[in-house]
Amino acid sequence: MKWFIDSMLGYWIMLLAASLGAAACIYVFWLKDALY
Amino acid sequence: MFEFAIAGIQAPIFLLMLTGFTVGIVGGFIGVGGGYMVTPALIVFGFPGYLASGIDATHMAGKAVVSSIRHRQLGNIDWTLALSMVAGTMLGVELGVRLLNYTKKLGISGVVLLACSVVVMLGLFIYTQLETRRAHKRLEQASLEGSHVGRELKTSTLHTFFQAIPLVPIVRCRTARVVVSMWVIVLVGVATGFLAGFLGVGGGFIRVPSLVYIVGATTHISVGTDLVEIVVSGGYGGLRQSMSGNVDMMAVLFMILGAMIGAQFGSIATAYVRGPAIRYILSYSLILATTGAFLRLLYVLTGQKIALLSFFAVVFTLGEMIFLCLFIVSLVIFSVLHTRGKKVPQWVAPLVVAATE
Repeated sequence: MKWFIDSMLGYWIMLLAASLGAAACIYVFWLKDALY
Repeated sequence: MFEFAIAGIQAPIFLLMLTGFTVGIVGGFIGVGGGYMVTPALIVFGFPGYLASGIDATHMAGKAVVSSIRHRQLGNIDWTLALSMVAGTMLGVELGVRLLNYTKKLGISGVVLLACSVVVMLGLFIYTQLETRRAHKRLEQASLEGSHVGRELKTSTLHTFFQAIPLVPIVRCRTARVVVSMWVIVLVGVATGFLAGFLGVGGGFIRVPSLVYIVGATTHISVGTDLVEIVVSGGYGGLRQSMSGNVDMMAVLFMILGAMIGAQFGSIATAYVRGPAIRYILSYSLILATTGAFLRLLYVLTGQKIALLSFFAVVFTLGEMIFLCLFIVSLVIFSVLHTRGKKVPQWVAPLVVAATE
């Protein structure tokens, strides 16, 4: 877990995973049904 | 939910404001209009493609005005550079649009556009990433040795070649501290405008690296100067789109409300970081946009039958906005902690700077 903060690559991967996960949730649970 | 009469759809106001806010942060920080993120996002929200493009261009101009004012206060705009480049940019955009129309006639515009976007953005990503990593390592070394480093550090020497071109008139850009032939600036404007016009984007993600690596301006000056270009190109694009009836002003209004706040934050955030940090965020933005465009290219090439590719393209577009905002916000937080003498990760310290420095 420490690697995700102390390494730039780790931090990049952690933020990207969190962002893509949040985007996937927004799309699946909200946008898909509400807007299409 | 709000009913947009011109677009003929219903969409949540909050979603548009949030999109404006996030793209405002990113745009104010790395000096891009964010068209490559906003247009796909608006299409996902249900806006027809032509309206998405018109709303994007119009809101981009408003957002760039806010960012430019803030960057001017921070001393990040070189007016000589900006005004010298405008004419070239407009000419380049016109040439790019003409080539785009030609490919439309041939019926290959979709594939050619996506393929060109992938190649250009991937090339820029690789160059920016490699150069910024070298600069980051040097900053880390200087930090360990305890020597003072300014806001900017570049390892690329490409600009020395272009600055040595002896074609008159030679222009002295006082704020950027650059002496270069005006033809170089104009040609950078034409080339980046051409790509922008052809790819249908504002062109900030091409112009900022060009100003840094070809003209030799610092990253902060490149960001501020590029935003002035976006005011002109976005304003012209917005006007043209409005006259063609491609703009839903209510959608623009809600997006600008969010973008005004985001653009202020993004612009101020540049005062907390060194040049390589901005170039890192720019390169991350490029690789994520490349991935999104590549997925859309695969989707088009496979006859739009594989829904999973479309899903991932959408997720990358939305995820990119969230990722870039989180990274910028966290850099500012790290900078504040570092200034107060708190412990921050070793890789962060050389990238951030106290806002008062």
